[in-house]
Amino acid sequence: MNRKQCFLALCTAILFTMIFGALSVTAMAKDTLTLALRGEPSDGFNPLMGWGRYGNPLFQSTLFKYDDDLNPINDLATGYIVSQDGLLWTVNIRQDARFSDGKPVSAEDVAFTFNKTKTSSGKVDLTQMKEAFATAANVIEFRFEKPDSTFIHKLLTLGIVPKHLYTMDYGRNPVGSGPFKMISWVEGEQMSVEPNPYYYGKPSPFKKITFLYGKEDTMFAAAKAGKLDMVVVPPHLGHQKVKGMHVKAVRSVDNRGLMFPVVPNEGKKTDDGAPIGNDVTADIAIRKAINMALDRNKLVDGVLYGYGRPAYFVCDGLAWDNPVNKIKDGDPKGARKLLADAGWKDVDGDGVLEKNGLKAEFTLVYPADRSIRQGLALATSDMLREIGIKANVIGKSWDEIKGLRHANVIVYGWGNHTPIEIYSLYYSESDNNRGFYKNPKVDEYLKKAITSVSFADSMQWWKKAQWDGETGAGPKGDAPWAWLVNLDHVYFVSDKLDIGKSRVEPHGHGWPITANITDWKILD
Amino acid sequence: MTNTIVQQPKQVSLLQRKKAVLICLCCVFFFVALYIAGAMMGDTGLRTDFLHRNLPPSLDYPFGTDWLGRDLLTRTVKGLCISIQIGMLAAMCSAVLAGLLGVAAATFGGKVDTVITGMIDVVMSTPHLVMLILISFAMGGGVQGVVVAVALTHWTRLARILRAEVMQLKNADYLQLSTRLGKSKLWIARNHILPHLLPQFVIGLILLFPHAILHSAGLSFLGFGLTPHNPSIGILLSESMQQLSTGHWWLAVIPGVCLICMVKVFDILGNTLRYLSDPQTSQQ
Repeated sequence: MNRKQCFLALCTAILFTMIFGALSVTAMAKDTLTLALRGEPSDGFNPLMGWGRYGNPLFQSTLFKYDDDLNPINDLATGYIVSQDGLLWTVNIRQDARFSDGKPVSAEDVAFTFNKTKTSSGKVDLTQMKEAFATAANVIEFRFEKPDSTFIHKLLTLGIVPKHLYTMDYGRNPVGSGPFKMISWVEGEQMSVEPNPYYYGKPSPFKKITFLYGKEDTMFAAAKAGKLDMVVVPPHLGHQKVKGMHVKAVRSVDNRGLMFPVVPNEGKKTDDGAPIGNDVTADIAIRKAINMALDRNKLVDGVLYGYGRPAYFVCDGLAWDNPVNKIKDGDPKGARKLLADAGWKDVDGDGVLEKNGLKAEFTLVYPADRSIRQGLALATSDMLREIGIKANVIGKSWDEIKGLRHANVIVYGWGNHTPIEIYSLYYSESDNNRGFYKNPKVDEYLKKAITSVSFADSMQWWKKAQWDGETGAGPKGDAPWAWLVNLDHVYFVSDKLDIGKSRVEPHGHGWPITANITDWKILD
Repeated sequence: MTNTIVQQPKQVSLLQRKKAVLICLCCVFFFVALYIAGAMMGDTGLRTDFLHRNLPPSLDYPFGTDWLGRDLLTRTVKGLCISIQIGMLAAMCSAVLAGLLGVAAATFGGKVDTVITGMIDVVMSTPHLVMLILISFAMGGGVQGVVVAVALTHWTRLARILRAEVMQLKNADYLQLSTRLGKSKLWIARNHILPHLLPQFVIGLILLFPHAILHSAGLSFLGFGLTPHNPSIGILLSESMQQLSTGHWWLAVIPGVCLICMVKVFDILGNTLRYLSDPQTSQQ
């Protein structure tokens, strides 16, 4: 072979290498994804500690799951029966399911998951369940002392963990029977996953998915640089243009609202030493006037840049929402009249109302690192000034808010696909009832709702707890909250990525978009 | 010819001193005007205005508006006022601490000197920002956190200067002469030591301001300072970081430039005062 032939052969080899290299890069790009969706769990990926409570635990499978229209369908389970008295739930599970280590998923694993969760101090409340018991290799019985109409939600969200691998460190090394298994996780930076080869469901077309964690602006800059296939952004960035990506705003029940302490300040403190009560917000006229004066549409347009809708209760638009909650708002004139009728007057002419020497003034606290809540707090404060109520806005860390939450108005966020949230926020003895709201009638309805034999039966009680025509926990009733807005979750999605039909998302930042991640595909 | 050679430096010196005094007056005027402007502006510009969001600088809004429609001019001026207040308070606390410890170390000597010098070395060898964050966090953040953090981390340099000054003075001939002439210690301290230390102290104090302001802005920027909606310069800059990718340049550039200008004015004031009070330069 002469030098010329050698040169030609070398050039041809280089050319082929370049072509195949380019092809392989393109192929790689087609079966990998890089996403920045937030939602990194501080307790690790452990369902017993709360991972997956807003849906899609990714590594673990659940007994049931939602379809695109939020109807429960089988996942690990093949069906369930509830006894007539509601005290026994029997669930059958499929026998072909395997964890990502190759071991089969048994009824023992399911019973272990539920029993262990009940005794763990995580974010999943299973106090209503007495015991889970594996009666056969694929049959589990859940026993109750009282019926629990909301238990189906636990079956929909609690990921099943392997009994033989569960340790305290499980959250850092999760193994489950879900569609993906973890490759690596660098906390605060990124996590990589690959498909679980033993997954019984539809396999994902992606060989590797990387989830990046970081600040919203950093991730948005990465998306603009073409480094991401999807990124969740705050609403004010939703009107930006990103080359090769389009905006997808997904409706949610992820809400924001003001929680009022409803008991007066009598010098009492919690066991942790946090003061209880606020004389101003203990007056129902103040709470109702605030609900009436706030212009929720203005908040949606102003703070959420149109990406959201007004909120009037914690479960707006869901099946258990009472439509009468939708009061007439943005009515400062009506609010001023209500306050005047209740004896609030501006005696000293400083623009702030007084009643028996007490000024209509309180502290409005928002978590300092949340820009949307900051915007809502500031805009709310400005709106309340018009009706003579002075809300002093401060931003605090979550640790500091723990000491302030029983005596000050706090901007909180809730919203999930279960009515248990109503019980959690409004039942007088619930831990999350931080304003110490108590109405015996509401308590009665909530107890009836939760102990109903069927979910359908419970519906009437959930609605009555909000407003029964005379009283309730909604804005027409005692108004212990002023719900402000329901957010739309805003994403920039690569034009080449098809993420299928999106569902109404719960609270949980950007993570709920992954509920149908196995259906995602690259467009040709 | 001889007369002109002798008189020329005097004229230059007089001009230079006048110029220096004028610079000082201008600097003070700048701060007073800024403070008055901040106080007179009212809170209207701090309120949300959804009809005027994200507006670039214009005649109506010379500094533009932010994502909630708040006027950036009002926020910047009020932020600078807060920075001046925090800076002054922190710098004064720091300077007093430096004065007490520096003079005590030099006066008492021995173990006291060893302990204070050791403290100075420890504080100076610890990374500044780490100490600032730790102290501010331990104090619960807010204005008090920033003031205490800045005060406790900035006293060392001035303390060292004052210590060296007092030690030098202790051995000065005229001081020993006064002692032999029977003057009391208080008389010596009031008539000899204090006049000598005061200019150093005042200049040190003024030169502490820019450090205090920059560090309080830095703490607020990192989220350890004031509450996030307060119009502090650090917070304005921190907020602007979220908007950089949207092209809203004015949110970062204008408060940043204003902060640099203010710090520079303090720096000029401190250096000019040093020029006026330093025996070498003031007699040039």
